[in-house]
Amino acid sequence: MLPTEPIGSIPRPAALIEGIQGLRAGRISQPELDALYDSAVQDTMRRLEATGSPVITDGEQAKHSFATYSIYGLKNLSPDGLPISFADGHIRHFPRLTSGPFRYKTPADVYLEMAQRYAHVPLKQAVISASALSLLYPQGGIPGYSREEYLDALVAEQEGEIRRCLEKGAHVVQMDFTEGRLSIKLDPTRRLLHSFIDLNNLVLERFSAEERKRIGVHTCPGADRHSSHSADVDYAELLPNLFELQAANFYLQLASEPDRKRVLKMIRDHAKEGQRIFVGVIEPLNPRVETPEEVRDRVLEAAEYIRPDRLGTTDDCGFAPFSDDTSRTRETAFNKIRARVAGTAMASTALGLG
Amino acid sequence: MRGRTHEAHEAILGRLNRRLRILSQCASMFFQAESEQELLQSLCEILAAGGEVRLAWIGYCEDDAEKTVRPVAQAGSGLDYLERLQTSWAEMETDQDPAGTAARIGKACWVNDIRTDPRFSPWRVAALARGYASCVAVPLVARSKQRGAVDLRGTLSLYSAECDVFDESAVEHYAGLATSIAYAVTALRGHLAEDLAYGVTALRARAERKRAEEALHQAREELAHVTRVTTLGELAASIAHEVNQPLAAIIADANACLHWLESDRPDLDSVREALAAVVKDSHRAAEVIIRIRALLSRSSVPHRPCDLVDVIRDVLLLVGPELGRHGTILQTSLAPDLPPVMGDRIQLQQVLLNLVVNAAEAVRDVPPERRRLVVRSTFEQRDDGFWAVVAVEDAGVGFSAEQAARLFEAFYTTKAGGLGMGLSISRSIMDAHRGRLWATANADHGSTFHFALPGMP
Repeated sequence: MLPTEPIGSIPRPAALIEGIQGLRAGRISQPELDALYDSAVQDTMRRLEATGSPVITDGEQAKHSFATYSIYGLKNLSPDGLPISFADGHIRHFPRLTSGPFRYKTPADVYLEMAQRYAHVPLKQAVISASALSLLYPQGGIPGYSREEYLDALVAEQEGEIRRCLEKGAHVVQMDFTEGRLSIKLDPTRRLLHSFIDLNNLVLERFSAEERKRIGVHTCPGADRHSSHSADVDYAELLPNLFELQAANFYLQLASEPDRKRVLKMIRDHAKEGQRIFVGVIEPLNPRVETPEEVRDRVLEAAEYIRPDRLGTTDDCGFAPFSDDTSRTRETAFNKIRARVAGTAMASTALGLG
Repeated sequence: MRGRTHEAHEAILGRLNRRLRILSQCASMFFQAESEQELLQSLCEILAAGGEVRLAWIGYCEDDAEKTVRPVAQAGSGLDYLERLQTSWAEMETDQDPAGTAARIGKACWVNDIRTDPRFSPWRVAALARGYASCVAVPLVARSKQRGAVDLRGTLSLYSAECDVFDESAVEHYAGLATSIAYAVTALRGHLAEDLAYGVTALRARAERKRAEEALHQAREELAHVTRVTTLGELAASIAHEVNQPLAAIIADANACLHWLESDRPDLDSVREALAAVVKDSHRAAEVIIRIRALLSRSSVPHRPCDLVDVIRDVLLLVGPELGRHGTILQTSLAPDLPPVMGDRIQLQQVLLNLVVNAAEAVRDVPPERRRLVVRSTFEQRDDGFWAVVAVEDAGVGFSAEQAARLFEAFYTTKAGGLGMGLSISRSIMDAHRGRLWATANADHGSTFHFALPGMP
């Protein structure tokens, strides 16, 4: 069977979104919100298991966002950092670090432990890349806390986070690297991209080859609401460098690409031996639910370019990377995942894999 | 008539002065801004506060289906106007506002009178309602031979309350400003990449250095292990003898027991005494093997408190039989209250073993009366605290002044078949223990090798 894995996030239940707002407004207490988180995680995992997914996540129900979960609530952050513009015109501001030292507040293994209580199938854990968090450090610097000190702390924090996830039994740890394509938009010379890759490799190189088999990298144009931040950046700008990352698994947005064959060709030409490619066969931004047959055909198309023993399937992106995103429904997300699982199984049979 | 001309000149001068003041403020912002967003927003604020324009905004081109020019910074009055604007830079002949046109054609586009210019009719009502009478949009592009071409794919748009404000000179002025913005934004974006690259490079260099240090440490460990094994190999005959002795005694005592037990009335006291000797000899043999196994072990352990007297005793027990085999007399003079030191016991044993084996070899071919070694331990009070000092003195062949300079060099040896690594490794072990290893020539015969380690408080 071809492996199939989700990316991570699932839209939060309305009660949870309301609860988060309720805590801010002082209508409910933290223990009450924690109960809502717990219930959302439990329900999400139960429904993910019901799709037949061989690997699931906690749907990132308790995360503030895929990018800021580890730092949310830190006192030495200000909300006016780097603006990230999405194609539909909305802007998300990345936080800005105001002083050192830097430490994670809630690393991903905390969420993993919470989810493990309810898991009956292997559990995948997503973490935000060091390169994304490198953008926290302000361009003007921080007196008494150099960028080098910050990066050193960041790399150590992320190594610890990934190592603990692996030790606690995560099936795989997925590093979210959506800023790969964004970096080309910010700096067309690609120096920023090279620095991002180098920084992430500093983290990945701290793991043995055996450990890296359980580490992956996800890239996509950064979906939020009905839009993305860097879909206009050609994959050709990113892919040749992407595979320099010292990870064994790559989760690549593909379904929503206008010319999939062209991208598959690039993957074939640039992916290194030993790297498994999980191609995106589901478009989270598209409200229409794919049929299993469509998914099967997308997988078979990919198999023309990538050997089946190096191929897997995934979704193009998470279904709600930000906790306040209500542009998709939970039902749509579960139905799409169900289609992915069924379509991947059909493709596996067609490829003679079981 | 002359008065009116004078007034007109005064107005032009006043306008030019205002623009120069604005330009100067903008120029200082190019150096002060720490981020792109901060720069663009500050520039809009400076322009809107300058008096010439009511609204200033900067937009970037999106590659969405509508080819939107999306506002990223804005200041002035009537900001809600931008929400209705829906500027597009798509290919179109009509109904494209100045910002969309400027972005599309890459040149400035202006409207001298919003009330009458037919190109502006779709937005006229909304613009007039907010007091805008004329406007200009300049693309954020720069072209120069020295710095190359930069296109931010965006526009700077300005709306004035007066008609005909944006004449040729004003357009040139604001196009120049747009050029500077394009370079400043490019520089800021470049800084982000450069700053990060600098930090990552420094981190990578540190990681590489650490990796090299670890590799060096491992290589040293391997080498130290090889030399330990080599030294023990040199002692193999004596060690075998040392183990064989208790084994022979065990066999003899066991046979005696068997013999006694075969009699009708076994002498149980003798049996008990023999068995006690068997146990004692077994322990003796086991201790030799434990000491050898420890020395043969490959792993290094974290430094912990060590009693140097125990280290000396273990080494002398191991090497004693070899000395005896060659007729070498061993004397000791050990300070009773030597302070403990922090260290790796096996590595310290290795240093002492190396010094004693070297000394034993140095006296092997000298007259019998000089075949003696003295192992001393003392402690010294220095400015930086107590130091434990161990010395191995022999009356052997000694070393010349020329040899003295090279004694601790790697691969330097005066022994036939020697590796020349023993003293070099011993010194690196001492360095790792923040200690010292040195040699002195004796007044009469031979040499003395000393090592000193900081005592624990």
